[in-house]
Amino acid sequence: MPGDVKVAPAERMLRRRDHARRDPGPRAMARRTNRTGLLLVSPALAFVCVFALFPLAFGIYISLTNWPLIGPYHLIGLANYTALVHNSVYLQSILFTLKYTAIVTVPIFVAGYALAVFVRANRRGSTVFRTMIFLPYIVGLVTLSFMAVVELQPQSGTANFVLAKLGIVKATTAWLVHTGLALTAISILVIWLASGFTMMLLMAGMQAIPAEIYESARVDGASWWSAEWHLTVPLLRRSIALSLIVSVVYSFLAFNQFFIMTDGGPGTSTESVVMAIFQTAFADMNVGLASAMSVVLVVVVGLITFAQFRLLQGDEY
Amino acid sequence: MRGFPGKGAPTSKMRTLTIGMAAAAVALVSAACGSSGSSSPSSKTFGDNATGVVHFWARQATDGPAKALVAAFNATHKNLKIVLHLTPPNDDTSQLATAIRAGSVPDVVGLNDIDVPTFSHENALMNITKYVNALPYRAALSPGHLKLATINGQYYGVPYLADLSVLWYNKTLFRKAGLNPDAPPANYAQIVSDAAKISALGHGIYGFSFAGNCQGCLGFTMLPSLWAVNEHLINGPLGTQTANVASDAPLKTMLQDYHIMWAKHETPVADQTQNGLTWGKDFEAGKVGILPGDYGFAAAFTTPAQHAEFADAPLPGVTGDSYSTFDGGDDFVIPAGAPNASGAWEFIKWALEPAQQVKYPSEGMTPIRTDILTPSFSTTNPYDAVALKALAKGSVEYTLAYDAVFNEPGSPWFKMFEDAVYNGNLGAGIAEGQSGIQSTLDSVKG
Repeated sequence: MPGDVKVAPAERMLRRRDHARRDPGPRAMARRTNRTGLLLVSPALAFVCVFALFPLAFGIYISLTNWPLIGPYHLIGLANYTALVHNSVYLQSILFTLKYTAIVTVPIFVAGYALAVFVRANRRGSTVFRTMIFLPYIVGLVTLSFMAVVELQPQSGTANFVLAKLGIVKATTAWLVHTGLALTAISILVIWLASGFTMMLLMAGMQAIPAEIYESARVDGASWWSAEWHLTVPLLRRSIALSLIVSVVYSFLAFNQFFIMTDGGPGTSTESVVMAIFQTAFADMNVGLASAMSVVLVVVVGLITFAQFRLLQGDEY
Repeated sequence: MRGFPGKGAPTSKMRTLTIGMAAAAVALVSAACGSSGSSSPSSKTFGDNATGVVHFWARQATDGPAKALVAAFNATHKNLKIVLHLTPPNDDTSQLATAIRAGSVPDVVGLNDIDVPTFSHENALMNITKYVNALPYRAALSPGHLKLATINGQYYGVPYLADLSVLWYNKTLFRKAGLNPDAPPANYAQIVSDAAKISALGHGIYGFSFAGNCQGCLGFTMLPSLWAVNEHLINGPLGTQTANVASDAPLKTMLQDYHIMWAKHETPVADQTQNGLTWGKDFEAGKVGILPGDYGFAAAFTTPAQHAEFADAPLPGVTGDSYSTFDGGDDFVIPAGAPNASGAWEFIKWALEPAQQVKYPSEGMTPIRTDILTPSFSTTNPYDAVALKALAKGSVEYTLAYDAVFNEPGSPWFKMFEDAVYNGNLGAGIAEGQSGIQSTLDSVKG
C-alpha cells in the first residue's frame, strides 16, 4: 500500500516510548502526582513516625513487660492490663476525670460561644475585648495555677477576702484541701482559661460565614435568635466539633492544674488519670503498668474523639 | 525549699505518652551525657591525678553548693574538669534511671539519700567500699547518710551534704509570753504548753506552725521526734519489713498534741493548705512562736535584729530530753559503668575536705562530717552548729518504699495525719496508718 511505511518492531517501541514521554496518560499522571504528594508530606510523615507512632508502639511493648524505672525486665503478656481492672486508684482516677470533664466541657463551650458572639463583629473595642478574654490562655495554666494557690489561701488569699466580703464564704475557707471546693476552684479556673480559646475558634468560624446569608434571612423576617439557631449553628458545625473535641481531650489529659493546686489530694480524691499514670511510673517506679494505663487512656480518648466526630460531622463531610 | 525528702515545687507538664516517648528518646539522650577522660585506673591510682572531664549531676534543690563546688574545683584543677548538670525537681531519679537504662551514665551524682537504696539494690551503683574505708575521716561521716548507701556492709555511696531538720523558735515571742528565751522546748509536752502561752498573746500571733499539706515536710520534721525516743515507724530488714504504728505510743502522743494545737487554733489555719512552697514564711514574719522546720530557713535571717529574734534548737523527742534530726540531703554515688569514675572519686574526696565543708552553711546546707563542728565553726555559724550537732544523732527510715509510705499525697502516713490531726480521729488514723504502711511495704520487693 502506498504510504504504508514498514517500521521495524524496535523502532515502533522507541516511538511509543517517545510518545508516552510527550503525552503521559491519566494513569501515569496520577502516579506522578501521588509520588510528588508523598514526597511533599514525607518530612511530616517522618516526624509523626519518629515522635508519635514509634513511641506509641514502644509504649505498647513496654505495657506488655514488668518494666521498672531501673533494673531488668521481661515480657509478662497482658498481666498489666488485667491488673488495671483491680487497680482502685486507677479506676477512681478515671471516674474523677470523667466527672471533671463533664463539669467543665459545657460551661467552656457555652461561655466561649457567648464571648464569640460578643466579639465577632469588627466594631470599635472588639480587639481589646478579644485580647482581654484570650489573655488567660496566653498566660498559661501553670502560671495561673500557681497564682490560684496563692490567692485561695485561707486568711491571706485575695479570692477568699473578696468572697468573704460578699458573704459567700468564710475568710478561713481552705479551698484546696476539700475535694468539692478544690474541684470547684479548679473548674472555675479552667473554664475561665479555656473559654477564651474556644471563643477564638468559634469567632474565626463565625467570621467566615458570608454576611449575605444573614441579610437574606433578615429580608425574610428572621429574628436574631432564629438566624443564630438556623444559620450560625449549622454553619459552625466544624468549628463546634473542633472546640468540643479539643476541650474534651484536654480535660481527659488534665495534669498541671491538679498537680500544682491539690497534688491529687486530699488523699487521691482529685487525682486525674494522667496524675495516676505519673505516680505509677515515677513514684512507684512501675513503668510497665503506667504504660498499660497510658495505652488504655489513648484508646478511650480515641474512641471518644471518634464518637464526637461521627455525631457532629453531619452531611457536609 | 531545700532537699528535704519531700516534694519539690510542682512543675513539669506530663502527658500520657511522655513515658513512652521518654523511653524511646533514651538513645538520643544517651549521646548527650557521655563522659571522657581517664577510666578504669588501678586501685592504687584511683581518685588521684585523674584527667579529662567528670559529668556531675546534682539536684536543682541543691544547686547552691553544687555550683560553688564545681566553680572552686575547676578554678584549682587544670587537668580535670567538672561539668555540672542540674536535674529538675521531681525528675532527678527518672533522669538517672533513663541514663542507666541507656547505658550512658554520668560520672558522679548527688542523689537524694532516700533514693539511694532504690538504685543500689538494682546494682546500678559502683561499690566504693574500699575507697570509703580508706578515708581518714571515715568515722566522722554522717551515719544516717552512710546507712542509706549501705548494703550488707558494702558502700555504694558516700555522704555529700546534709539538709537537716531543726526546731525554730522566736525568742522575742517567748519573752513576751513570759517564757525563757534561752530554754526552747525539750519535748512535746513543753511544745504544747509554750504554744498555748504564745498564742494567748493574740493579735495574729500563733504558738506553733507546720506545713500541713506537705507530706515530705511532715515526715522531715515529725519522724526525728520518734527516732529520738528510739521508735521507728518501719522496722526489720528489707523484704520483711513491718509497720510500727499501732503500738507506737510516742507517735500517738505526737499526733494528739498536733491535734490539740490545731483544734485550739494555736496554729495558722493556712497550715492545712501549706504545701511547702511558702513554708516558714509566717515564722520569718514574726507571727509564729515555734516551727519545726529546715535549717535552710537560716538563709533568710541576715540582720542582727533577726539573729536576736530567731533561734534554732535540736528537734526534741516526744518525751524526755533527747533529740534527733532527719538525715536529709544527698549522697555522692558513682553509677556503675561511669567512664571517669577515678575523676569522680577525686572530686568527691576534694568536696569532703574541711576547706569545702565549712563553706556549706553559706549555701544553706550543713557539712556532712561531724568533725567539722569546732568552736570556731560554732561561732561563725551558730544556726548550723545546732544542726551539725544533731547530725551525730540523726536517722532515717531505711526502706525502698519511702516515697510511697511518706511522700505521696495519698500516702498512708499522710492519711493517718489528716485523720488524727484535722479530723480529731486518732484511733481511725492509727488503724489506717498501720494497715496502709504495712500493705505498702508488702507491695515493695526487696
